[in-house]
Amino acid sequence: MSVGGFGKQELAAFDRAFFDPRQRFTRIGDGELGGKARGLLFAADLLARESQLLMDPNVVVDVPASTVITTDLFDRFMQANGLYDVALSDSADDRIAHAFQKGDLPVELVGDLRALVEQVTTPLAVRSSSLLEDALFRPFAGVYQTKMIPNNQSDAGDRFTKLVEALKFVYASMFARGAKNYLQASGKTPRDEKMAVVIQEVIGTRHDSRFYPDVSGVAKSFNFYPTGNARPEEGVVHLALGLGKTIVDGGVSWTHSPAHPRAPAPFASVRDMLDHSQLEFWVVHMGKPAAFDPIAETEYLAKHDLGAAEYDGTLRYTCSTYDAAADRIVPGTGTRGARILNFAPMLDLEEIALNPVIRALLDLFARELASPVEIEFAVALGPGPRARLGFLQVRPMVVSEDVVQLDESELQQPGLLLFSDNVMGNGSSDSIQDIVFVKPKTFDKGRTRQIAGEVEQFNRTLLDAGTPYLLLGFGRWGSADPFLGIPVEWGQICGASAIVESTLPEMNVDPSQGSHFFHNMSSFRVSYFAMHHAQRDIDWEWLERQEQVGETEHVRHVRAPKPLRLKVDGRSRRGAIWYAPANS
Amino acid sequence: MALTPHNAFEMAQARFDHVAKLLQLDAATCELLRQPLREYSFAIPVHMDDGHSRVFRGFRVQHNDARGPSKGGIRFHPLETLDTVRALAMWMTWKCAVVDIPLGGAKGGVICDPHQLSLREQEQICRGWVRQVARNVGPTADIPAPDVMTSAQHMLWMLDEFEVIHGSRAPGFITGKPVGMGGSMGRVEATGFGVVFTLREALKERGIRAADTTASVQGFGNVAQHAIRLYHQIGGRTLCVSAWDQTDQTAYAFRKRDGIDLDQLLSITDRFGGIDKGKARDLGYDVLPGDAWIEQDVDILLPAALENQINEETMERIGAGVKLIAEGANGPTTPVADETIARRGIFVIPDFLANAGGVTASYFEQVQSNSNYYWTRDDVLGRLDIKMTAAYVAVSELAQKRKLSMRDAAYVIAVDRVARACKDRGWV
Repeated sequence: MSVGGFGKQELAAFDRAFFDPRQRFTRIGDGELGGKARGLLFAADLLARESQLLMDPNVVVDVPASTVITTDLFDRFMQANGLYDVALSDSADDRIAHAFQKGDLPVELVGDLRALVEQVTTPLAVRSSSLLEDALFRPFAGVYQTKMIPNNQSDAGDRFTKLVEALKFVYASMFARGAKNYLQASGKTPRDEKMAVVIQEVIGTRHDSRFYPDVSGVAKSFNFYPTGNARPEEGVVHLALGLGKTIVDGGVSWTHSPAHPRAPAPFASVRDMLDHSQLEFWVVHMGKPAAFDPIAETEYLAKHDLGAAEYDGTLRYTCSTYDAAADRIVPGTGTRGARILNFAPMLDLEEIALNPVIRALLDLFARELASPVEIEFAVALGPGPRARLGFLQVRPMVVSEDVVQLDESELQQPGLLLFSDNVMGNGSSDSIQDIVFVKPKTFDKGRTRQIAGEVEQFNRTLLDAGTPYLLLGFGRWGSADPFLGIPVEWGQICGASAIVESTLPEMNVDPSQGSHFFHNMSSFRVSYFAMHHAQRDIDWEWLERQEQVGETEHVRHVRAPKPLRLKVDGRSRRGAIWYAPANS
Repeated sequence: MALTPHNAFEMAQARFDHVAKLLQLDAATCELLRQPLREYSFAIPVHMDDGHSRVFRGFRVQHNDARGPSKGGIRFHPLETLDTVRALAMWMTWKCAVVDIPLGGAKGGVICDPHQLSLREQEQICRGWVRQVARNVGPTADIPAPDVMTSAQHMLWMLDEFEVIHGSRAPGFITGKPVGMGGSMGRVEATGFGVVFTLREALKERGIRAADTTASVQGFGNVAQHAIRLYHQIGGRTLCVSAWDQTDQTAYAFRKRDGIDLDQLLSITDRFGGIDKGKARDLGYDVLPGDAWIEQDVDILLPAALENQINEETMERIGAGVKLIAEGANGPTTPVADETIARRGIFVIPDFLANAGGVTASYFEQVQSNSNYYWTRDDVLGRLDIKMTAAYVAVSELAQKRKLSMRDAAYVIAVDRVARACKDRGWV
């Protein structure tokens, strides 16, 4: 079975009943569904067929009520409003987004949207589902935007307006600079791409002005970073309180092996655990928005600290409490003390059997797709305790099985630029000659946003020239938090063939974790090296000596006289890069 | 319903009597609804361009305003009669009621031939008409709109006169204004799109995919053009359209067996909706006599031109495969033809339901004008779709439940709503 086999013919037309229990997944239009929607349709079908595998009376698994606006309506929107000129221009992203906001939607769509908001008053997620999002090796994870709207205004006209704004925002995201770069790196042009959009109910519960799931998660059936006794093929699960944005953006979440849910977390101390567990969570803000900004993804999102969750009562099954007097961590919230979001009531005590369901889902989808998979989900807890697991996404993972040997003797050879025993990818190459690196001497963690912009300039130039390059920087690439790394979008570095992220004494963080970012790296077959400054370092002196092609305040582009040699052994997760010594 | 100048009001009353019987309305209610509530007939003296004065006859008939301010167009026509205006005012009452907008029905007119009048003279007629009824019309009483041989320009003159008399701006007094001068986005498309909204629902109800259907259209004016566009967008194919040829003073039908290309035809169409015959032939169209549109082998007929087009003479020529008629025009089917069509099992979406998109968008324009806040096109058309769909579903459900024709069901709903409003107000 493959996701690609699912198309519009399997999907009923939207009959203006969004929560119709007989048709919870529908379409508007007669075009293509796009990758995300096809994946969801595949998932909905599989879950219905294999429901007995997931039998747990207290955990209901389903795909949230969804309707897909197919690509023919996107085509009509673009053509009727003459938007291709501005969309394909070099205009700034916000200018393009504003031009889209001024466009009129196809008339055959607006009545259905109006009907939808007239019966739904709970939050909606408006999610991209482009044609290319389903290509196995180009999954376009996180390249296009999703917008969540509270959809709780008392007037249906207001809800309609906000839904229309969100839809046009998602359409416009196809032409954002980062997305264009991404397409270029994929050997595609925007003309090859079309956008379908999924309008989906948001799984969660309302607590005053906050609407959020009790748990959101990303589970992978292959773990690129196993710790302790865990093996890569046992997979990995990241859990967070609130919306999944925390995880997919690479924020702090709780990571465990689904095969060893009770295994102690790899923290040196309770203090360490307190410092490195989730302290803030994302919600759909149901109150008055902070500012009118239809072209911002986060217009209706808000971040809160755990105090708000404590007040809402949503920590009961998700956290443990540090008992300072006994110096121990107690699952649940029965005692006073600092809360730690480690999901122990579910994982250790199995008060809600979430982990077995996640394992079953990973096994089921990996088997059906004949590939390791990555799934996204959100869980709303009800009384009982009962849980509803909303299945949000499934993607195949790219795991190379080529055999690459990296002997110790090779590491002693001259010209070693860097070595890491924490790599991702598999294979060897000798096609990289250009290197873009963040200069360690001028690095300032307070200016990572500026650095991201500088890196993008070099990426653009090299992408246009079709030149692959090695990218080196500090902290997590793609971090949503600018103090944990350089907050680039994938499209800003998508021309890189190999990426190195190193720590510095002032930027001493764990390696990148964002699921979208990782998915893109593996799909583009980009080799990734995590380095720790206290261990073997990069040969900065050699880098400094190379021919300089360009330089900005924080970033330099150099070109080596001969191609670099790169080797990554995915099994041992070790990799190295050599330059050709001067006398070779 | 055939509306001819000499019998229009009697025919409208006969139709009402039939429905009143179905509804078992009491005598007082029947008496109230058979006649207009108010009629204004007045003289409009105008200084003509050549220096002499001429007096024109103007009318305004407010048939019923129990459900809200009256709404209806103003016609300039040399053969205008008070009876025609009465019939059309009554018809407006039912039309507003069937789509459930809070308006009553009215109509106005002036006996004149705009083709024989300068713009200045037409302006004087417009201003004179408003001066005569300024105290009896207005945003909360009676809202005029363009109709036969009146345009957005006429509406602006009338609005200006009304505002001068009342000493304030009142854009909600009149509809059909240009966008940017108090008009509404989507108004131009509304009637044609509304026809297809109801057509879409009818097809859905019958389990027919629009993409599996073909249509033949009479007329190539505003309503037909927009109806064809949306019909194509939902997947349908139009095989034939008929259009009036201004030069030859006759209509021609343009047929392409694999489907017309709307934009291509529009590129060879003049501003009156006439299609260039020679160019059409060059593009591969068969150019046929105007009445050939009705005998095409299609699933859907869409009369969107004149009244009385499906009549005793033409009804036998309706193509064998026709399953559905969506009446975009006013009164395209005569009562006799209606019976034949019913016997053949052809489903009819009656005119005052199918083409109510126009008055619904006019209502939206009035709402926007009254609040002086204007909606996006998405907003207007989204609301229009909901209104039209809801109206269709209500009529269809009643027709099935009480085994009525769609036309009778639409009238039953409309008349019942108005009758109840009259009773609720304590009038009868």
